[in-house]
Amino acid sequence: MANKVVIYTTPECVYCKMTKEFFKENNVVYEEKDVSVDDKARDEMVEKSGQLGVPVTDINGKIIVGFDKEKLSEILGIKN
Amino acid sequence: MIYDLIIIGAGPAGAAASVYAGRKKIKTLLLTESFGGQSIVSDNIENWIGIKKISGFELAKILEDHVRAHEEVEIKMPEKAVSVKEVSSGWEVSTYNGGIYQSKTLIVTSGGRRRRLNVPGEDKFDGKGVSYCSTCDAPLFKDKEVAVIGGGNAGLEAVIDLIHYASKIYIINHGSELSGDQSTQEEIRKSPKVVVINNAETQEILGDRFVTAIKYLDKQSNQVKELSVGGIFVEIGSIPNSEFMKGLIEMNKAGEIIVDHRTLATSKPGIFAAGDVTDEIYKQNNISVGDAIAATLSAYNYLLNIKKQSPAYENKNSN
Repeated sequence: MANKVVIYTTPECVYCKMTKEFFKENNVVYEEKDVSVDDKARDEMVEKSGQLGVPVTDINGKIIVGFDKEKLSEILGIKN
Repeated sequence: MIYDLIIIGAGPAGAAASVYAGRKKIKTLLLTESFGGQSIVSDNIENWIGIKKISGFELAKILEDHVRAHEEVEIKMPEKAVSVKEVSSGWEVSTYNGGIYQSKTLIVTSGGRRRRLNVPGEDKFDGKGVSYCSTCDAPLFKDKEVAVIGGGNAGLEAVIDLIHYASKIYIINHGSELSGDQSTQEEIRKSPKVVVINNAETQEILGDRFVTAIKYLDKQSNQVKELSVGGIFVEIGSIPNSEFMKGLIEMNKAGEIIVDHRTLATSKPGIFAAGDVTDEIYKQNNISVGDAIAATLSAYNYLLNIKKQSPAYENKNSN
């Protein structure tokens, strides 16, 4: 089954960029929601994660806060 | 194997040291968590000489590329030095991942990290209203009242990031006036959203699920006051990443490594240091680069001197 990956970002956030780059390097398909313009996505992110900070990644309902390469790799089954 | 040089950290200083070490063909090991240093979170660097405008992220990439162009420099990343001790061949560095590496010389370019407030509530509400990255998180505080702690340049820049989003911005400033650049001060004073509170010391961060208020001491009236805010941006400077060198070399009270500013030598022969981890007054990317280059050339000369003093060298030259 393919992973459903959603990343909540803001345009100038470097850890968001790193996370997206990590996904690209590992051929992970993801949907990006820019919470600086999408208020609905912002509320959804805050509700899901209890966080007021980006990036937040949702992988099949599992929430990862920040660019946590180890945790992302583990959930996505990526070997370094 | 004993390296000629171990470089610890790869911000602008460590990258510069690596490039120069590579060009001098010094057998080098670079230990670092990542490339780019503290500026990596900056969305806009406009004073990197030779480039009008670059993001911290892009700068990190070009530094990494430049270092990787030098085969003599072996890179261990992510890796972090946890302690250093003196051994007969020079220095031995132990790392977070359990590595032990020896070298004849060391260049410490481990930089600094953000200073935290160290008040109750700060850890609990980290990411829940307390933020250390205004460029990242400002958009999440749309129509909210927020506080920025710190009246220096970083604090004022956080205010500028927030002006587009927050409904009101309190600057909680330790000193009797703001210390950031005049031009930035003028810019923020134009906004009716900004309220400057001087002589104020943060005491506590309050909240439930998220931040709801901040308590501070008004040092003039000696009264504790409370402000209702939904966000707190901490911009109170940085502290040096020098803990792993404690007890081995001389530092000042702030934990900065004391260096000879001509040679970048520390109190121990063979150990050099450059950039924000040192007692250099101006914490600037360009200065870190220049100092790290001087440190590398000093390390190179030091290595030449050891070679000259070694018995093998003398035998070779007397025949």
